Amino acid sequence: MTVTAAAVQPNLATVGLTKSFGGVTAVDGATVTFQHGKVNALIGPNGSGKTTFFNCVTGMIKPDAGTATYRGRDITGKASHRVARTGIGRSFQLCRVFPRMTVMENMLVAVRSTSLRRQLASARDPQELDRARGLLARVGIDHLEHSEARDLSYGQQKLLELAGVLMADPETIMLDEPAGGVNPALIDRIANLVRDLNAEGKTFIVVEHNMDLVMSLSDHVVVFDRGRQICEGPPSVVQNDPRVLEAYLGI
Amino acid sequence: MRSASKALGLLAAVAFVVAFPRMAPDAFILSVGVVIMSYAVLATSWNFVGGFTGYISLGHAAYSGLGAYATGLLVIETGMNPWLAMLAGGLLVAAFAVPVGIASLRVRGASFVIVSIALVLILLLVFQSWGSFTGGSNGLRVPRPFGTDVLRPEQHERFFYLHAVLLAVALLTWWLIDRSRFGTGLKAIREDEDKAQSLGVPTFQYKLVAFVVSAFFTALGGGMYALWFGFLDPIFQFSILVGSYMVLMSLLGGIRSLFGPVLGAVIVGYAVEYFKAQYGDTQFHLVAMGLLLALVVLFMPDGIIPAASSLLNRFRPQAASIREVTAAELAEQRRSAADAEEREPVTEGARR
Repeated sequence: MTVTAAAVQPNLATVGLTKSFGGVTAVDGATVTFQHGKVNALIGPNGSGKTTFFNCVTGMIKPDAGTATYRGRDITGKASHRVARTGIGRSFQLCRVFPRMTVMENMLVAVRSTSLRRQLASARDPQELDRARGLLARVGIDHLEHSEARDLSYGQQKLLELAGVLMADPETIMLDEPAGGVNPALIDRIANLVRDLNAEGKTFIVVEHNMDLVMSLSDHVVVFDRGRQICEGPPSVVQNDPRVLEAYLGI
Repeated sequence: MRSASKALGLLAAVAFVVAFPRMAPDAFILSVGVVIMSYAVLATSWNFVGGFTGYISLGHAAYSGLGAYATGLLVIETGMNPWLAMLAGGLLVAAFAVPVGIASLRVRGASFVIVSIALVLILLLVFQSWGSFTGGSNGLRVPRPFGTDVLRPEQHERFFYLHAVLLAVALLTWWLIDRSRFGTGLKAIREDEDKAQSLGVPTFQYKLVAFVVSAFFTALGGGMYALWFGFLDPIFQFSILVGSYMVLMSLLGGIRSLFGPVLGAVIVGYAVEYFKAQYGDTQFHLVAMGLLLALVVLFMPDGIIPAASSLLNRFRPQAASIREVTAAELAEQRRSAADAEEREPVTEGARR
């Protein structure tokens, strides 16, 4: 079954995106379209350029060539805070929180303040505090509000990172290995969160190695090998595609 | 209770500052007090960049030196009111810091440190060579703001209080930034700059503003020093040592704490003056400062204030939890969290 073009709205899309580090071309002319309102997965063997692709489209590094658009807006080479303002939030492969700030302070970093007056206002705005507490409760770590982030367990830090990304209220959330280094119970919790948030209208683009999770969670899967897309489609189709098996198993 | 003891401590510190000139046995000790106050202003000013963003500038003497010369030259060349000259000097230096910040804040870590040192050395050469304007190596005599009828000890006393007011303004500004959204963004930059930016913090603009504010207060500190000391020599104004003292003081006291740099300034300032008085003919005070820096880095990398408060917490078992709640409260919170988790399907449904 093929999805009709009219039914699918593009979310993040790239054309010929390329990034080399010295002699290694990590992303090699990647032309990809992710679907709006869906849970998209980006999979591929180690070193296939998934994280570099993430970094290129979120402005962490500048691509050498190609374009990236988000909902029709050109975001190629934009600084990462500008990409964030277009409505894209992201997590990092090795979970990144602000270690010497409390859990609540971690949450408040993402609060957007446009005017100078708001910038200089107290960070502890009651409304934002409530919103932060709500999100912390949602991921299940609201009891740790006053702890320093470095004192949290790895799993708790992952949840904090996700809550922190949600605090910016992005329309699209890019997760880099949300299940990496996390125990099975927590993987379920994260998967449920992704499903619920998706039902509320958030688009997800998830890099993940846990195939059970990818297959159960995603609506649309993009497979990368050697820095470019080799195949895309619903999980059931991708799973049986010979090119995917070849990329993963080398046969 | 915690905030009450904080307020009490602050009150005691203010009382001590107010009373110090009366308690000082002679004019020399009083002048040491002024020097320490001046250091406290400079270190607190440095901490707008160092403490908030984690960018360690070893070259902040550039801004204190420029502030000092700008104040002195404005008074001499234009006959401007000295206090107005000090303020104008601060603003000029702040304007100068904008392009410097734009250039130097692009690089992080060691590169930033080196750029900051390079600027001081360039300024040293410029101010030494441009003798016709700056007085060069012969130095620049800055007219005193008070008349000749105000005697030396009284000068010291007035400048002690003037420095204290400047310090209070700098501390208040630091505190206001610390609790603001802007401050939260700056601290996030200190922790993980790329992550902060990915959350939408315009990191470069934030760093630049902190840098310019820091340069402004550092220049005011330099300007006030110029008016007090009355004589400027490039070799002392644009010295790596002065910049290093600001870093040492802040690290010693604790760069994450409001009063860390002040505490560091009191300890380092006193130690420097003590060693200079005792072993003035030698360079022993430099060795002593080097040892002090090594000890801080090895044993108290976070500084005295965090180290002391964690030590205090160890003796206060009830308040020992970093969570600022008692064990019973925590257990209760966990219980309700667990309950909430059990109810999750219902609440999730309600939310949708």
